[in-house]
Amino acid sequence: MTTSALRTDQLTKSYGDRPALEPLSIDIALDQHVALVGHNGSGKTTLLKMASGLLDPSDGSVSIMGHAAGSQEARRALSWLSDTPTFYDDLSLWEHLEYVARMHGVSEWQPSAAELLERLGLGERRDDIPTTFSRGLRQKAAISLAFVRPFRVLLVDEPFVGLDAVGKQALLELFVTAGEQGATLIVATHELSFVHRVGRLIALRDGQLTYDGAPDATDVDELVRPG
Amino acid sequence: MSRHDEHVQALRALRRTRQKKRLGDIEWFDAAYRVYMVALFGGGGVLWLSSAIGDQPVSESAAADILRNGPAVLGMIAMFGFVIGLRGGAQGGPLALEGGDVAYVMMSPVDRWWALIKPATQRLRSAISLSAISGAIAGQLAGRRLPGSPLGWAAGGFAFGVTLAFLWIGGALVAHAIRLPRWVAALVAVAGFGWQGAAIAWGVPGPANLVGSLALWGWRQHTVDLIAVAFAVGLVVAGFALLRRISLDALSRRANLVAQLRFAVTMQDLRTVILLRRQLNVEQTRSRPWVRVPSFGGRYPVWRRSWQSLTRLPASRLLRMTALAAAAGVTQAAVAEGTTTAVLLTAVTLFILGLEVMEPLAQEVDQPDRTDALPVPRGDLMARLVIAPAVALIPFAVIAGAAATATLGTLDFVAATAILAFPMMLAGAAGAVVSIVRDAPDPSGGSTQAFMPPEMAGFNTAIRTMLPIIVSGLGAATVLIVRRAHEHGDATVGAAVRGAIGALLLIGGVLVWVRKRDSWRAALRSFMADGRSYTSQQRSSPTHR
Repeated sequence: MTTSALRTDQLTKSYGDRPALEPLSIDIALDQHVALVGHNGSGKTTLLKMASGLLDPSDGSVSIMGHAAGSQEARRALSWLSDTPTFYDDLSLWEHLEYVARMHGVSEWQPSAAELLERLGLGERRDDIPTTFSRGLRQKAAISLAFVRPFRVLLVDEPFVGLDAVGKQALLELFVTAGEQGATLIVATHELSFVHRVGRLIALRDGQLTYDGAPDATDVDELVRPG
Repeated sequence: MSRHDEHVQALRALRRTRQKKRLGDIEWFDAAYRVYMVALFGGGGVLWLSSAIGDQPVSESAAADILRNGPAVLGMIAMFGFVIGLRGGAQGGPLALEGGDVAYVMMSPVDRWWALIKPATQRLRSAISLSAISGAIAGQLAGRRLPGSPLGWAAGGFAFGVTLAFLWIGGALVAHAIRLPRWVAALVAVAGFGWQGAAIAWGVPGPANLVGSLALWGWRQHTVDLIAVAFAVGLVVAGFALLRRISLDALSRRANLVAQLRFAVTMQDLRTVILLRRQLNVEQTRSRPWVRVPSFGGRYPVWRRSWQSLTRLPASRLLRMTALAAAAGVTQAAVAEGTTTAVLLTAVTLFILGLEVMEPLAQEVDQPDRTDALPVPRGDLMARLVIAPAVALIPFAVIAGAAATATLGTLDFVAATAILAFPMMLAGAAGAVVSIVRDAPDPSGGSTQAFMPPEMAGFNTAIRTMLPIIVSGLGAATVLIVRRAHEHGDATVGAAVRGAIGALLLIGGVLVWVRKRDSWRAALRSFMADGRSYTSQQRSSPTHR
């Protein structure tokens, strides 16, 4: 039996009596590139947060590379790029990169970190505190932190929001590079042009799975329309 | 070096780097000034308490009473700490990490026990500092009038405080780690308070008597009390052992809120502190109101909006408000019986109750963009938003009156209580109104504080911080008029009417301030600008040269 990159089994989340995600069972294989779409409040972020271990499921289970979400092994394999990046307000961007890389056991982190910053147009800002950055620069800083460490699975939530054209292009190139290195990508997005770059599309509506298949075989606009 | 060691080394290196930066950023003069102020006011407070308590030994009967009931009464405090811990743990406490730590440390493959042991130790240490110092001070004060050496009493109070902190933090960590359901925590609270209450009322052995007994070690020592210490230590050890089970979901939710909470504490913004504590406790307003508010034919939108807010208050908040009202009644009864300082407790209680009930006003103040877009003067709008909450206080005034009457155990003051309860409650809530409106953004910009000389700024800040409690205190102090009349054999009803009138005048004054505040500030700013303009003209005129 092959190991799944991400697997959910009757995964459910509700807030009080309001369901955020109805029982969901999906299996995402290694190396797959998946776009997760749906209207606002459809359950995309809830699903990704549970997969990253940031949110406790109300029921069911979710695993990363065969390990329970949030476990030490899962954290080693998974990189999470949030749509609301968080930073320390007393560390520079470079110090953030050093720290994250070292926490993940990367000893020679400087060359790749420098290259990442150059690609994202942050080379000049490496010694600045990222909490002082604009929305777009914060997003770029978060991208650099997500990619400075090794990973097998990359979960990304709304990565293009606030990015300029250079940033978008750099991120797409980073996705391609990660894919070439065998990483599994799961990207929640409203950017419908991105959907056709991936091999699998998962759509949620009001917390329920409405589509799971090839992106070219469906009307994506229809999928993201609120019910 | 193993992978585990590498992670731990990286974590330690980060913490060292950040600590160095924090130390580098400290303004040492400011820090020293703060220490000086705390020592001055803290030391002054202890001296004031010492002189208020005196050093006359208590009577033999009073000493016997303390010996008999002390462990149960003090045990109730310990039970309170334990229950607070359990509830906090069930709601995701007691640890709070920075957002960065949640995103980068907790999401990294470092062993979470190593990542959390330091924050957990710091949390325990701060709890110990608070309760052990308080315990030692209280013990030292008790030792002045009770048999035994003050030093022994201070040590007993210290031991009691440390045990209380262990119960609090240990209970919270264990409750969190085992995912104790909130209803179980509530059940334990009810059972614990009920049992300990029975220990106070009827002398049955209470579950926390051994902890309470520790505080009396300055007088006499019972070795059996050490069982309580062992239990508390065991709780902390279990909590620390279970650190890997701390929920990242809870840490993530609390991270941002705790940062805001710390900022609010720094700014002495009590209202925000209470608001954020509600959010930390996952206390949300009801999506469906208890009752539907009628449309009033489209008229009275402010009145309707206020009731729409009030009818969405969750049950937990209504229960808390009921408890606060009852507590205010009990403390006012204590004031009536001669404990004048209890008026401070009433003031704080009524102030917090006011903050709870003034939700519609607070919401409006918190959304200045929306408020300023409305075609009505802001002061008028704020004053109108106070009306519905004031009406909503009526049942709480009844609860406070009933609690006061029950505590006094006599019907002699029923009429006076009936007259005074509602105005007093309104006046208490007026302090909350001052706190809420004072923090509202100034639409004309700027701050009148900017016109003050630096020497006055600190004093002004202190007054600003204390003013709401002072207003609530003035409302609560009306009961002293009734007490004085009773002591002099005068009619308490007449005194209550005078007190009620005083409270209503205070409320009227606050309402006028709410309505006129913006225009007064604008006038002051204009006056200051005129003054500056005149001065600069004078300086530039040829005669001045």
